[in-house]
Amino acid sequence: MRKLDKRIWYILIGLAIIAFAWLSPVKKSTLILLTSVGVYGIAAIGYNILLGYSGQISLGHAAFIGLGAYVSAYVTHDMGLPFWVGVLAAALIPILLGLLLGGVALRLEGHYLAIATLGFGVAIQQTFKVLTGFTNGFAGKIAPTATILGLKLKSGAPYFTLTVVVVVVAAILAHNLIHSKTGRALIAMRDAEHAAQAMGINVVKYKLIAFSVSAAYAGVAGALYMHMVKYTQPDVWGMVLSVNLLAMVVIGGLTSIGGSILGAAVITLLPHVALEIPLLKDINSSSIILTGLVIVMTIRFLPGGVVRLGPWLLSKLSKPGASQPKEVA
Amino acid sequence: MDILLQNVVSGLETGALYALAALGLVLIFRTSDVINFAQGDIAMFNAFVAYRIFEKAVPYWAAVAGALVVAAVVGWIVERVFLRPAVRANIISKVIITMGVLMIIQGLAVLFFGTEDYYMRKAIEGSNWDIGGLILQPNALFIIGLILAIVFGFNYLVNKTKLGIAIRTTAENEHTARLMGIPVGKVYSISWMIATGLGALAGILVAPKTQISITMMADIHLKSFIAAVVGGFSSFLGPVAGGFIIGVADNLVGYYLSLDWKTVIVFGILIIMLVVKPAGLFGTQLRKKV
Repeated sequence: MRKLDKRIWYILIGLAIIAFAWLSPVKKSTLILLTSVGVYGIAAIGYNILLGYSGQISLGHAAFIGLGAYVSAYVTHDMGLPFWVGVLAAALIPILLGLLLGGVALRLEGHYLAIATLGFGVAIQQTFKVLTGFTNGFAGKIAPTATILGLKLKSGAPYFTLTVVVVVVAAILAHNLIHSKTGRALIAMRDAEHAAQAMGINVVKYKLIAFSVSAAYAGVAGALYMHMVKYTQPDVWGMVLSVNLLAMVVIGGLTSIGGSILGAAVITLLPHVALEIPLLKDINSSSIILTGLVIVMTIRFLPGGVVRLGPWLLSKLSKPGASQPKEVA
Repeated sequence: MDILLQNVVSGLETGALYALAALGLVLIFRTSDVINFAQGDIAMFNAFVAYRIFEKAVPYWAAVAGALVVAAVVGWIVERVFLRPAVRANIISKVIITMGVLMIIQGLAVLFFGTEDYYMRKAIEGSNWDIGGLILQPNALFIIGLILAIVFGFNYLVNKTKLGIAIRTTAENEHTARLMGIPVGKVYSISWMIATGLGALAGILVAPKTQISITMMADIHLKSFIAAVVGGFSSFLGPVAGGFIIGVADNLVGYYLSLDWKTVIVFGILIIMLVVKPAGLFGTQLRKKV
């Protein structure tokens, strides 16, 4: 039997999740939580294209998600344009900023890129704080309920459905990108930049592509976040979110689209799960400690991420002493 | 002119703290080949330790000494448990590990010390001196003096002692250092212990301004990166100069250009600096072999 195309799987799983949301008596608060998993999942897929497939690190990616959120709020609330225009703008405008950061990345790698992107993130967050005409500063920015074809998408099952649809589309687009000529070029650039260059790959072009694609994904995630929470202020878009995004992709699985979503689920749900565990319940910082520990252990023992835990265990069981999954990034 | 001079003087004080933090950062970078993104949070943790000891009616300087001992232990543990097993991992993996350490330390700080702010006294308390309109704080002069002394002591250590030679050799080439019989593992441990100690001292000295709190090191930590970049990661004195430059520049930009946009401008300078002269003002360009 031919193996089913992964993209078909994405659609089937998406449909199953939507059916589950509508048919089962799952609580509205749970659905809202799962919506945020989807929102961060979108950003994580984009970030994985950057870190996993292209080997470029960014510690300031919260800036793009925040920009997406603010752009969408500005377009829908201040300008009164439809929801889909807001999402489209939230995808396109961060690309400009992504090109700027990509331009910086052209000259930097490794540590220096990490520092530059960290500084970039801090500078953009500060811009959100002082550019009150656009962001309304600490007073906060509001956004209306998402409306598609005259249909108000309330939080809970309706908005969750939209998020799942966007996640599936994002996953399919990422799959296509990675399996195209562009994707192969990105991977070649990650593995050996100079060799890739020698093979005629235009590194300038592909670095810019990697940064702008991940910025667009982040922007869309920001827009969906904005219309889910309907309120935001600059403190949300700082280091913590950037580091969490990194954690999602590393824990879930570098170079894996499914892993990105899995990682988003782990990081988003961990604080809530920790509240249920008797011993951890009383420690209000248990989730951040756990996240940190899981990051370190993942890098150390399972560089492929949680998504590859199954295959890794199988290979360990069948062939004792079999080699570990290849180290990525 | 007086205002300019006043700004420069107070810039030198914060700059000295940036320099101290940057020195720790660069020491770890040079020996372990990793930028320790957890440096600021480890320093915050140890500043809390100092406060907790000080709170028990222990004399200030004994509390500082106690915190430095704890800082060295924390540095040893972090290096030994988290970084040493990954010594051959690639750069991005190491950066991610320090990010994990950052989260663990931050969580532990919240767990042990809570999220409230505490007041910590200045190292030197005393009324300000007024010299022809220029206000000088004894504490600020003490900080600048102390840090210059540390920098020169450190420079002596690195250039003249056996340990310093071991550190420089390890920084240059870990493999060769091993072949030369240098206990590389010990060098890693000692560098981390010194570096976290320097960070802790920066945290304790800045505490009267920021209060002791979970976020107290956020600014210094980020500025220490800029200091290291401006001065260059390849030398030990460059980042110190970078720290003073950033401290003064920060103040001048804030006063003469815009307080709101200060952070954006300073980080803009960082990014431009990285792009135009990644080796820093005083560093030498390290060419990567293909």
